[in-house]
Amino acid sequence: MKRTHFSLVTFLFSLLLLAACTEAVSDAKQETARPDIYPDYLGVTIPVNIAPLNFSMATDKALLIDAVITDKHGNNLHSQGEESVDFDLDDWHALLAQNPGDSLSVTVSAKYEDGWHTYQPFSIYVSPDSIDYGICYRLIAPGYEVWSKMGIYERDLSSFDERPLIENTQFEGCVNCHSFNRGNPADMSLHIRGPHGATLLRHDNSPLDAYNTKTDQTLGFCVYPYWHPSGRYIAYSTNATSQLFHSASRNRVEVFDTASDLQVYDVEKNELLLSPLLKQDSIYETYPVFSADGRSLYYCAARALPEGSLQLDSIRYNLCRVDFDPETGTFGSQIDVIIDAEAQHKSLSFPRPSYDGRFLCYTLSDYGQFSIWHHEADLWLLDLATGESRLMKEANSEDTESFHNWSTNSRWLVLSSRRDDGLYTRPYFCHVDDKGAVTKAFMLPQRHPRQFYRDRFMSFNAPDFIIGPTRFDGQKASRLINDDARKPFGVRAVSF
Amino acid sequence: MKNLRGLCTLLFGVAVLLFFGGAYPHHLHYQEEYQLFLFDSTYVWDIVRLPGGIADLLGRFCTQFFLYAWVGALIIAILLSVIQLLTLRLFNGQCSMVNGQWSYGLSFVPSFLLWLFLLDEHALLGGVWAVLLTLLAIWGYIQLQKGWMRGIVILVTIPILYWVVGPDWNGSHYHRYPTVIQTLLYAAWLSAIILPLLVRACHKWFSTSSSSKFSTVYASLISFVLVAVCMGWLVWKNANFKAEKVMQYDFMACHQQWNRILETVNKEKPNNQIGVTVQNLALAMHGQLVNQLFNYNQNGIAGLLPDVQSDATSPMPTAEAFYQLGMIYVAQRTVFEAQEAILDFQKSGRCYKRLAQTNLIIGSYDVARKYLMALQKTLFYREWANETLPLLDNEEAIAKHPEYGRLRQCAYDKNFFFSDHVTPEMLESLYFSNTDNRLALEYLMAYYVLTGDRENYSKLLHQISTKQ
Repeated sequence: MKRTHFSLVTFLFSLLLLAACTEAVSDAKQETARPDIYPDYLGVTIPVNIAPLNFSMATDKALLIDAVITDKHGNNLHSQGEESVDFDLDDWHALLAQNPGDSLSVTVSAKYEDGWHTYQPFSIYVSPDSIDYGICYRLIAPGYEVWSKMGIYERDLSSFDERPLIENTQFEGCVNCHSFNRGNPADMSLHIRGPHGATLLRHDNSPLDAYNTKTDQTLGFCVYPYWHPSGRYIAYSTNATSQLFHSASRNRVEVFDTASDLQVYDVEKNELLLSPLLKQDSIYETYPVFSADGRSLYYCAARALPEGSLQLDSIRYNLCRVDFDPETGTFGSQIDVIIDAEAQHKSLSFPRPSYDGRFLCYTLSDYGQFSIWHHEADLWLLDLATGESRLMKEANSEDTESFHNWSTNSRWLVLSSRRDDGLYTRPYFCHVDDKGAVTKAFMLPQRHPRQFYRDRFMSFNAPDFIIGPTRFDGQKASRLINDDARKPFGVRAVSF
Repeated sequence: MKNLRGLCTLLFGVAVLLFFGGAYPHHLHYQEEYQLFLFDSTYVWDIVRLPGGIADLLGRFCTQFFLYAWVGALIIAILLSVIQLLTLRLFNGQCSMVNGQWSYGLSFVPSFLLWLFLLDEHALLGGVWAVLLTLLAIWGYIQLQKGWMRGIVILVTIPILYWVVGPDWNGSHYHRYPTVIQTLLYAAWLSAIILPLLVRACHKWFSTSSSSKFSTVYASLISFVLVAVCMGWLVWKNANFKAEKVMQYDFMACHQQWNRILETVNKEKPNNQIGVTVQNLALAMHGQLVNQLFNYNQNGIAGLLPDVQSDATSPMPTAEAFYQLGMIYVAQRTVFEAQEAILDFQKSGRCYKRLAQTNLIIGSYDVARKYLMALQKTLFYREWANETLPLLDNEEAIAKHPEYGRLRQCAYDKNFFFSDHVTPEMLESLYFSNTDNRLALEYLMAYYVLTGDRENYSKLLHQISTKQ
């Protein structure tokens, strides 16, 4: 009898606690506007397998936020919180799984000092196109020459889990240029800078190897890697990079090359393939990428400045292409200018062809190649079938859009943008259908997004999709880095 | 006897207090400037989840009070005194009070070694906490009756102790150079463990021949004086007063104590780069830089606006000069890079504050808000952050603000590229952007004077007279 009493009391107490956790939205004032929420998820298109889009009211004045998501089947999902709504992960995924190709309606209420306000509902469209397992990025403070703690991280896109692959607390130096073959971490390249400089390579799930990519026939270390679809080659550029600073511009710093060349690395033969066409003194060549079929090499090229000139705002890069024969590892004899950005007084950077061969996404800024610091930089989409380019105005913002990558099904783009506060780069996602229709970009979901992005003093640098966990052994990699033994790159000069 | 021991501990504590508060205060300020303790669960979790995290957290918590040197000195004095008392307890656990009289002075050795450790500006208070917590655990263990309970306690305590103080005495929790073996920290810890054992082994030699009260007091006192004199001499000998002086200049520049700087340089003219940079800034703030230039030590243009190095300390006074001149973007970059260069990857309250200010001045309000909201989670910068937040997006209030309004007026009106090296053209452009910027004029004229550029100096004078 005593035990029954205890259980009953416990049960009632639990009910009371549960009731205390949420407050009924009552006597709410009906607003005619849609809510101003952070992140802005109004009218976005999301993949069917994305993590819950938790959000806060944009204003700090809200005491409580309440959201109800309904679908056309009559299902609903409710969440209420002080700082943000936090949808149950399983319920969220169940709701999305029932609604591919449909819209969800989100009704938001916020409690202020004068009581509840209910806003006009907004829609979220659930695309049946799924997104890859996750993204991999570098977290680094948006600095200039010195770095504090930083590293490479992977994030599961269907949850909020983030895991470091490697951090610079494990060795002296910095890490950058992570690259996978179409999101497959079985083929992976990672660059280490500093006293233990190396390029770590993993090919077809082989153990990691550390290479010295600097040769006596190239400008320096190989950077900006891009894997050939066959996994046999990696396109690299070698860049002599400098920095100058703005005295009175929001762009703050100008990162530029004083020389740069391209080369392709043959993973199987451990040889760099050099072509005189791609290492011209009068041309800065950078950001090489292979076409979807692997038979072309796209890259950016600009006329080199006269020696000693600091007319940085006159350096403008075009999009160029050269044939590449993967069977022989040879290049074509002709360079085609695909987009003459210079003629528009613009400069092109970060070309990224979609893996289905339909499009090529690129960044256009006023000048230079390091558009990350250019507030005017925007994304453009080139239709490779028609040769037409168009501004991706649906995904762009007033601020910087720069680095980007395609999902393996070529339906999603992850793009770096500084629209949040003008300095810290955040990853956003937009959908691109097979006709090139682009949707509004949405910010990488977090469990408590406002708190998360406020407290993180790091930029998400060079985000790229991954099709599964990288299974990268950071301890082993750091031992390899600290060991200082490096395999040299061989060199093969290739004529066209 | 007990009173005498209490008095000795008190004397030791007062000596530590006077040393750090009176002779070494700027080392404490330095420590405070290169960390940012946040009352934030994520921040705390990131520290305590690692082995040694508790000691680290306690160290960081205490270090925030170093903003006020005497409070910091008091904290150190208490910590070192408690360590001495714990060591003494361990002594007493190993041999009787009477037998241990000659060894009494040895109970101060670990605390003196930690005092020596703390002379290094890169030594962190987490190391002291680690020693203290270890001694506390050992003392607690000794208090237990022998038996199975002791076995269980030791099994439970070892993993907890591993989490609390870490696997070894190296690591970023205890020193900003985590790869350097912390000999003094090891020595302090080992001495606290080994000395009691040694005393026990040698108790025949350490014990007094007489058990009279007088002889025990005499023995204790002599042993204390011997250790205090020897170790005290070591502390004084190893104290880096040269660094203390440099830190003083940096501190005064940080707090814009222009009068105090001039008073200090008038007493003893600085002969280091930071001192000269700060001295010249103070002179310029008083409008005396050009007139008084050669009444003070100079270091060419390197003493005016030296090239920024990639460390956390040396760029800060230069960044202050950039800021006061109105070179806001340059000041911001310099401070940002200095903070990134902090060896143990910590952030800095001083840097956050300046980054918030520079972002506010250039109108990057969202970024300024980010820094201010972080500072709201601190104990000593919260009030300032609360006062500054309402200025964001308020152009009128900023324009009227005595500091931010003036600095906005002084900013460059034309954009151009420049490298790490400050050139006269940069100062010229700054001055002619706003000829009310007397500081820019002082620096520009001083630049020409220091480089012996008479032609440009005369040209500048001509331009000024034409303008007038």
